[in-house]
Amino acid sequence: MPLLAWLLLFVIAPTAMLVLVSFAERDSLGRIVYDFTIQNYIRAFDWLWLKVLFSSVWYALLTTLICLIAGYPVAFFIGRAPQRWRTLLLMFVMVPFWTSFLIRTYAWITILSKEGFLNSILVSAGIFTQPVEILYTPFAIVLGLVYNFLPFMILPIYTSVEKLDSNLIEAAHDLGAGPLLAFSKVIIPLTRPGIAAGAMLVFVPSIAMFAITSLMGGGTNPTIGEVIFKQFTSGRNQPFGAALGSLLLLIFVLALWITRKYRQED
Amino acid sequence: MIWDNLGCMTIDGDSHGVSNHPRFGWQVTAARLQAGLFGFWTALVFAFLYIPIILLVVFSFNSSRLNIRWEGFSTRWYGELLGNKVLIDAFQNSLLVAFATTILATLLGTVGAWMLHRYKFPYQRALGLLIFIPMVMPEVLMGVSLLVLFVQFLHLPLGFLTLTIAHTTFCFPFVLVGVQARLQGLDPFLEEAAMDLGATPLQAFWKVIVPYLMPAIFSGALMSFTLSLDEYIVSVFTTGAQSQTLPLKVYGMAKVGLNPQLNALSSLFILVTFLFAFGSYFLTNNKKT
Amino acid sequence: MKKTITVVLSALAIVLAGCGKAPEAKKLSVFCWSEYIPQSVIDQFTKETGIQVSVENYASNEEMLAKLTAGGGQYDIIQPSEYVVEALIAQNLLHPIDKNKIPNLSNIAPQFLKLSFDPENKFSVPFMAGTVGIVINTELIKDDIKGFADVFKPQNQGKIVVLDDAREITAWALLSLGIPINELSDANLEKVKPVLANWLPLVKVFDSDSPKTALLNGDVAVGVVWGGEGAILLQSNPKFRWVIPAEGTHLFIDSLAIPKTAKNVENAEAFMNFILRPDISQKISDAFPYTNPNLAARKLLTEDQLQNKASFPSDADIAKMQTFRDIGTQGSKIDEIVTSLKAR
Repeated sequence: MPLLAWLLLFVIAPTAMLVLVSFAERDSLGRIVYDFTIQNYIRAFDWLWLKVLFSSVWYALLTTLICLIAGYPVAFFIGRAPQRWRTLLLMFVMVPFWTSFLIRTYAWITILSKEGFLNSILVSAGIFTQPVEILYTPFAIVLGLVYNFLPFMILPIYTSVEKLDSNLIEAAHDLGAGPLLAFSKVIIPLTRPGIAAGAMLVFVPSIAMFAITSLMGGGTNPTIGEVIFKQFTSGRNQPFGAALGSLLLLIFVLALWITRKYRQED
Repeated sequence: MIWDNLGCMTIDGDSHGVSNHPRFGWQVTAARLQAGLFGFWTALVFAFLYIPIILLVVFSFNSSRLNIRWEGFSTRWYGELLGNKVLIDAFQNSLLVAFATTILATLLGTVGAWMLHRYKFPYQRALGLLIFIPMVMPEVLMGVSLLVLFVQFLHLPLGFLTLTIAHTTFCFPFVLVGVQARLQGLDPFLEEAAMDLGATPLQAFWKVIVPYLMPAIFSGALMSFTLSLDEYIVSVFTTGAQSQTLPLKVYGMAKVGLNPQLNALSSLFILVTFLFAFGSYFLTNNKKT
Repeated sequence: MKKTITVVLSALAIVLAGCGKAPEAKKLSVFCWSEYIPQSVIDQFTKETGIQVSVENYASNEEMLAKLTAGGGQYDIIQPSEYVVEALIAQNLLHPIDKNKIPNLSNIAPQFLKLSFDPENKFSVPFMAGTVGIVINTELIKDDIKGFADVFKPQNQGKIVVLDDAREITAWALLSLGIPINELSDANLEKVKPVLANWLPLVKVFDSDSPKTALLNGDVAVGVVWGGEGAILLQSNPKFRWVIPAEGTHLFIDSLAIPKTAKNVENAEAFMNFILRPDISQKISDAFPYTNPNLAARKLLTEDQLQNKASFPSDADIAKMQTFRDIGTQGSKIDEIVTSLKAR
């Protein structure tokens, strides 16, 4: 079973190493000294890191929600479009992300900055009298996150919409359900697997994502990914970074396990 | 106009026998309105997705080196790009790794999802949770732990192989989750029927299940390709000198200002992708008619 | 089905073919910051010596360190900053340099040699130096800014960009207290905390990679940035002014060194000597407006380049600057302090 082998070698083994390192110490060059200590975990249970984690999770949740609202109609539209168009439309959702991440993000910075395009449009249209601060605000962070993760919501929902039986939708209509009712009672429940998959694919990676947050948010909101990265690099404290990372994994796996169990009992 | 056309398309595109059933007038109107709204919304989202891309393309013709203000038209960056062997090599490496990753991740993700769906075995639930670890693990942790694994335990030289393995590891969960979603609600009789007709489990999987999963497999492949193409942190730790990818060349560049040759490169790649996509679209449609 | 298999196999074949290149006699493996050594320089080196150069890139000292200490690759040349040189020397990870092979070392200005991180230049040669200073957009800020204390004032709230680098920020706070920047004892960190608690909430943008962007876009009015960033800003618009902080500042020296595990030490030394040649060093200055420590190369630079105050501070200014020493395990704590003050 290839999956099992791969998981064992490249997922479980590194994770085990990570957990091992999180109980170790380091020398002045940041090299790991294998010496059992729980000091890293004691340090990790500090209000500071929890605050950082909460804020990261909050941004990830917000991103997921907005991606869902913005992405669902797109996925539905593509999934119901004529067969021959679907692949093409789906490609077009993804193609913007085949450009370099930094180039793309700096393009957004140019658009949103004080002397940027958006502000000059807003001012010349008379909506604002002077440039407003858009870049380096929480709004810019969410915009950047939504922009970069939107395709990961659209694609899985599309695969669920695509298999919907149109006769079923017809039947709902024939029973006298208006489009709104048909949508909420029939279509949404039927595409729930896609929604759940999309939500996972957006929410999970966006927790640890920090390049967007620091570039578009001005780096004033530390995220858990950034904190771990800095402890690993400039802090030269791999064991502590590993401890924070292990905790993140643990919290996440527990949360997932509980929701799954809960759902099964449902 | 567009609104109207898009609206018609969704309704008529895939539904059969709209006129076979008696319907109230307001229902048809409302359904059309809904489809039209969705079409309009889709257009808006596409505009959102392409706004920075348009800017990126425009700036590839900017005469200024700093990517910030328009200072005049120039094709200088395209000329310089063609002579920049390092950037082009790096881009080729990126593509190579992205293709290899896409193939591996798609295979692994699809087969894995099917195994988890179809067969019962011990610790299955735990395995289902483990899938998510590469997704939630911060990239730096993954990069460094894979580096240590490759170098100190497996004694693999860093290069294309290690880079592809690393990329596949964080890409395949995206495929797997997508395929899993598609498998939910799959008619179990589909496979049985195939086997009743004399197909082996492998044949049934290949001839019946895979075609059914195709949209999810395709989505997963698209996601893997995109993720691999743009990965920096994991790459920096798991690659060697022969397999330097584009992001590795780009990330230090911000210090002196991102080179507009990158805009030129991105623009060209988008252009080629569009041509390729439209080309295959017209080819397949001509065949059908 | 057959087609798919062929595609898979050929892709794998390509992948595998990339791994095992036969070793060559005339080789050099360079691990350096991306873009820091211009490709034209590397090409010329190959042309003149016949030595094939393979280049690997990183974007921070610590990425390099992590990969090097894990035994990631066989490198002949690395490009560490001064405090990393010191750490590598202390851990006995560098190969001593045969100075007879590097006659061009005499081109380097004495103020960049024999510094505390490598007192005899036994293990490293300077590649490029630079400072951290203040850039002011004089259209937006009319006050006279002389040092850090003038930048971090309440009236500048939301108008400041600084490097996203905990060690740098802490160093400025130490300087404002009159403490040398390398004395990062726990007691001194306690003294720094209240200063940073006042400073950090005023900052709009933290960016180490391209702080010039926020200044160019008009999102902020004043910045504490690398000299090279300052030089680009001064070139781009006369409204920007460069100030060396009155409290003193950090002088960084990016160096070249040979790791102990290097296989081609002689080629590495030849490369060092080549980099220190005036005409080559001039090329690097053209690409990167940092402080070129090479006096012979400076003679080849244009008047404009030499007049740029952000690239070339006066000798009197340099005399007041300090280089970073290795601070070992304190880095983690500094990161924590800065993070905690940001996350309020």
